[in-house]
Amino acid sequence: MVSVKEIPGAAGLSGDKLLDIYYKMLLARTVGQRERMLNRMGRGPFAVTGEGHEATQVGTAFALRPGHDWVVPYYRDIAVALTVGQSPRDLLLAHLSRADDISSGGRNMPSHFSDPHLRIVSGSAPVGTHLPHAAGIALASKLRGLDEVTVVYTGDGGTSTGDCHEAMNFAGVHKLAVIFVIENNQYAISVPTRKQFAVEDVSIRAHGYGFPGVTVDGNDVLAVYDASKEAVERARRGEGATLIEAKTYRLVPHTSDDDDRRYRSREEVEQWTAKDPLIRYRGWLKVHDVADERKLDELQERAAREVDDATEEAEKAPTPAPESALRYVFVEE
Amino acid sequence: MTAIREAINTHGLTEKQLSQILEKMLLARALSVRQRMLQRMGKGPMTFSGEGHEAAQVGSAFTLRPGVDWVFPYYRDVAVAVTVGMTPVDILRGFFARRDDISGGGRNMPSHFSHRGLRIVSGSAPIATQLPHAVGAALAAKLRKLDEIVVAYSGDGSTSTGDWHESMNFAGVHRLPIVFVCEHNNYAISVPWRKQAAIENVSIRAQGYGFPGVTVDGNDVLAVYGAMAEAVKRAGAGEGPTLIEAKTYRLVPHSSDDDDRRYRTREEVEAWSAKDPFVAFPRQLKELGVLDDSAEKEINDRVNREVDTATDQVEREPQPEAPTAVLHVFVEEQRS
Repeated sequence: MVSVKEIPGAAGLSGDKLLDIYYKMLLARTVGQRERMLNRMGRGPFAVTGEGHEATQVGTAFALRPGHDWVVPYYRDIAVALTVGQSPRDLLLAHLSRADDISSGGRNMPSHFSDPHLRIVSGSAPVGTHLPHAAGIALASKLRGLDEVTVVYTGDGGTSTGDCHEAMNFAGVHKLAVIFVIENNQYAISVPTRKQFAVEDVSIRAHGYGFPGVTVDGNDVLAVYDASKEAVERARRGEGATLIEAKTYRLVPHTSDDDDRRYRSREEVEQWTAKDPLIRYRGWLKVHDVADERKLDELQERAAREVDDATEEAEKAPTPAPESALRYVFVEE
Repeated sequence: MTAIREAINTHGLTEKQLSQILEKMLLARALSVRQRMLQRMGKGPMTFSGEGHEAAQVGSAFTLRPGVDWVFPYYRDVAVAVTVGMTPVDILRGFFARRDDISGGGRNMPSHFSHRGLRIVSGSAPIATQLPHAVGAALAAKLRKLDEIVVAYSGDGSTSTGDWHESMNFAGVHRLPIVFVCEHNNYAISVPWRKQAAIENVSIRAQGYGFPGVTVDGNDVLAVYGAMAEAVKRAGAGEGPTLIEAKTYRLVPHSSDDDDRRYRTREEVEAWSAKDPFVAFPRQLKELGVLDDSAEKEINDRVNREVDTATDQVEREPQPEAPTAVLHVFVEEQRS
């Protein structure tokens, strides 16, 4: 079934890799849904998930070398974390604030991903604050002569912050190996992009910083991967930064505390549901004979099982001991 | 020559106005030279001056309606302040920290221009913090449907700040009646432009905010005037902001506390001195017959006299009285 020959439009990826991408997307979707469900059941404090963004997140993260390249995600990047190597168990331990949560030992907000070995860097909740961190990491790699690439993610709302501008300008001046990924889902919580910036494609701002900017269909995982691969290669060759704007849509409310019916019409959400990146990619895999219905269903069931097991395990895991509250604030001898 | 003809034909500048432009430029230059001299004599605490920037500053500010349009200058804008209407006495009171200083009652740093009647808005010393204020003033003018425009000045170093970006973006989204003037003198104190941004012309950033950006020769006062007149017209017609990048050069150190020999070669400074805005403009005016040697001398004498008289007067004036130190911090209630 899985062909070794080049598949047209597959960005040079083998069948195994193409299915791996699909699996990561499924896993992310399932984890997102599970977290929202657990929150509604009163078991998790808060859920901020990325249903609809899976193609953008997996497509970009799949171009990286996990544990070598640096990943500076924002709160919607469940699929980025999973693609780089976090497990559903890691994410659910954080969601349920468990002692063994790798991101923060049960202390941070859910979806504030962090993993020292995978080089996923913990971010702060205020939008855009992690962009200067990413530029700083990329400067460190450059000064040390290392071939590491840094990828930093933010939403369309992130582009209006001063931090975004300062990070991009600095990256341009120093020709840093950093990729800025804008997950443009057209809403900064409730603020539509027409109130956010007076341009059609925010990627044109890259010219003002002296590096290339591209806009891609963020619901087309292979198009996103292709653009990301090129940006990663550029960065690794020492040719500097790239801005990738991936246009997509968040199919769910901003968080478990948001009611998106107050600012988005149901018709609009339905239109974008029809463009769901999972449905689209599944269709592509079938048309190109990468897998049949049965195989694809099997992957979906496997993802569901993995998330079920992770949920069960995380629910049984202990919360942090009260006497550990002061740990992880300062370096411990 | 052609620039002057164009200025007269296209922008309707009269011969009298052309002479006024020259006089404002000369006044700003004389005031700057005087402040630096007084500082070296130990009579003033610190000086920022704008020698070299006069064309960029007068060319832009001359398009405004003083007292109607809002002006947010930065510390180098001596010529903006005098073009809009501040007097040498006003400027020197600020410099000497005198009681009657209109900008800050002798409390602020020199060159932090402020004048209510002329709608020159006081700025803070950190770079670019005035830009969001300017955008807010433009939003207020828009919401109140007033026929006012706002001009915000800053240097090339300011373009790297978050405030700069947030201001441009907000102005673009709300199509505000504002003109951003970047006085690009190639140095943020000692940091050269190539370490500031990875592009040639910062004006290209305007396209990322959805409005036009232009780069002009900032030493050509009429080129600046032309670009600014167009931007002001756009803003007044409700068509939104413009970014004007005026490329110029600071012929003196950044401030009285700076030694520019540490970061600029003397050859570079000399090359730019040959392009001093006072080299070409008076010659052009003479070629056109707007100015002759005696008229030029008359303007120069008047300017020097004005600055001399202002210096004498302000030096004799009192400083703020100690008990007033806490005034002008909070709104004071009217007691009857």
